[in-house]
Amino acid sequence: MALVFHRAQLAVPVACMLILGCVLPLAVLVVFSVFEVDLDAFTLVPAFSGQSWVQMFTNPVFAFLIGKAVVSGAGTAMLAGFIGYPIAVSMTRLPVLWKGVGSIVLLTPLYTGEIVRIYAWRVVLGSEGLVNAALKWFGVIDEPLKFLLFSPFTTHLVLLYNNLPFMVLAIWISAELIDKRLIEAARDLGARPIDAFFKVILPLTTPGLAVGVFTVFALAAGDMMTPSLLGGTSGATPMAMIDNLFGTAFDWPLASALSLSLLVILFAFATGFVTILLRFDGARAVFRRGAL
Amino acid sequence: MAGSGISRREVLAGIAAGAASGMFGSLSSAKAAVSEMVWATWDSNGHPEYIAAFEAQTGVKVKLSYLSSEDAQFAALKTGTASDWDMINPSLNGSWRYIKAGLLEEIDMAKIPNAAKMYDVFKTTPKVLDASGKQFAVPYLWGLNPIVYRKDKFESEPDYTTLFNEKYKGQLAMRDYALESIAIAGLVAGVPRDKVFLMETKELAEAKKLLVAQKPLLRTYWQTIGDLTNLFATGEVSCAFSWRVPYDTLKDKLAMGMAKPKAGIMGWCDCFAMPATLSAEKSEIGYKFIDYLLGAEFATQIAKIGNYATTSSIIRDELSKEQQEAIFVDDMDVMKSFMWPVAPENYSEWLKIWNEVKAS
Repeated sequence: MALVFHRAQLAVPVACMLILGCVLPLAVLVVFSVFEVDLDAFTLVPAFSGQSWVQMFTNPVFAFLIGKAVVSGAGTAMLAGFIGYPIAVSMTRLPVLWKGVGSIVLLTPLYTGEIVRIYAWRVVLGSEGLVNAALKWFGVIDEPLKFLLFSPFTTHLVLLYNNLPFMVLAIWISAELIDKRLIEAARDLGARPIDAFFKVILPLTTPGLAVGVFTVFALAAGDMMTPSLLGGTSGATPMAMIDNLFGTAFDWPLASALSLSLLVILFAFATGFVTILLRFDGARAVFRRGAL
Repeated sequence: MAGSGISRREVLAGIAAGAASGMFGSLSSAKAAVSEMVWATWDSNGHPEYIAAFEAQTGVKVKLSYLSSEDAQFAALKTGTASDWDMINPSLNGSWRYIKAGLLEEIDMAKIPNAAKMYDVFKTTPKVLDASGKQFAVPYLWGLNPIVYRKDKFESEPDYTTLFNEKYKGQLAMRDYALESIAIAGLVAGVPRDKVFLMETKELAEAKKLLVAQKPLLRTYWQTIGDLTNLFATGEVSCAFSWRVPYDTLKDKLAMGMAKPKAGIMGWCDCFAMPATLSAEKSEIGYKFIDYLLGAEFATQIAKIGNYATTSSIIRDELSKEQQEAIFVDDMDVMKSFMWPVAPENYSEWLKIWNEVKAS
């Protein structure tokens, strides 16, 4: 008997990996979050305790850190969208060879390790770094601009730099798929370039924009190294707190509760952003292959 | 084939047995020959040149795994995420936690000939023993954690209050470590040095207030001593509660100073220990290694390069007066002004406060 093979079956290995690599650890976190810790014996004690969840909801530090991650992720995604969009659309107009060169140049920063990039930023933005030295040399400043390094500005500048390629690539692929005849038709019917952009190009690239927003939001909100090593005293993140609770404090229940809360809230916000973007007519047209 | 007296089954069985003995033989010899040991220690204790002689003598490669904090080391052992560590580095005052949790292998001091030359204060310390008197760790290196500063930017020698002084805003750094940072705030709040690691909720609240007020004055919290050295070298930081490494590394290039605050000097003593799960073969190499750490070669190397003293007097009399002063062994009474950081019973409260300070 011949085996009937459906395309959907190709997803089975990935589904298994997701279950093993994501759902099971999450289930473990749920269980750990209701356990207790015996700090005298340094052991996790199986229990059904709401202690860590009470701490989660009553200590404002956790809400503050999660809120900070959401704002940081959303701000970075928004800026990446504004800056990345023109770059992505410009790339569609390049000759094929230059598109290849452009994509390589775009991804070049990602080929270096994160820690290398972090120390490079310190050299560029430090008190005795390139930017301050240049500004001093031109007589623009007398004292170094301290806010350039170890501040929220630094954190978000570097988060934007690190994640911009993900936004540009997603929009670029979406823009490449636009049927150019639609733009020509709009122009033939009297639309100004700006109208053609807002009525044809932008709506049809919203799926790419949505993917970019989802990716950049998740990466920026979940980053730990950049805020920790470049954000100075403002570099506290929920990720660092989770690391501290799991490692140093041996408080696995609270760490689990914080991890789950962070996951749920980030997922809710990311889904909200993407849902809003995909409700635009253009996105619906792309998914329905032309039909609104 | 029947006439030969060996059946096909016997031939096959012989081949299988031969293959099996060869395989298990090579396995057992691989197990016996330890070619590599992983030593979890501080980046300042484990420079490759310090241990080159040991590797040459034994043919065993010592792979270094650098620690970020004592707490992280304990947690890694406790949670089993450090299963590749063969030798570890608990502090003298933190050893009790490892011993109590049953994480360490008992140490037979008779297997360590160089232990005879240890200073009495370290040889007889009860802090590495369990309740029944069994020993689980061996002190091998000690020193003090000073305030390191740029002499050209400070008119007088700083003390702990300098780290909280608005005048030096943007030039200061503290270690991202609850135990020492909260203790320093406690000293500034007026808690006596013999009580600072016993602070209760009210005193901790005072310390927290100071640390929250200190936060805008800091350039950053430093994570590793290499990170702090880099911050001094690039002019980001002029004064920090530190280890002595930035002073030693940069003193020839910058006007570096090292202050020992009168309010209390943070002393430290590192111990050698082996995880309870270590194999007998690796334990034997571990004994050779701790004997090396207490011997003349390691003491000479680390005194000359790192400016640290081992717990052994083995090379003390061969050092010049200046060399003795540099590593604080000219007058052993210096230890009388030491505070030995020790994780208190209410340490989880300390950690909670530190997290709140950083998130404030």
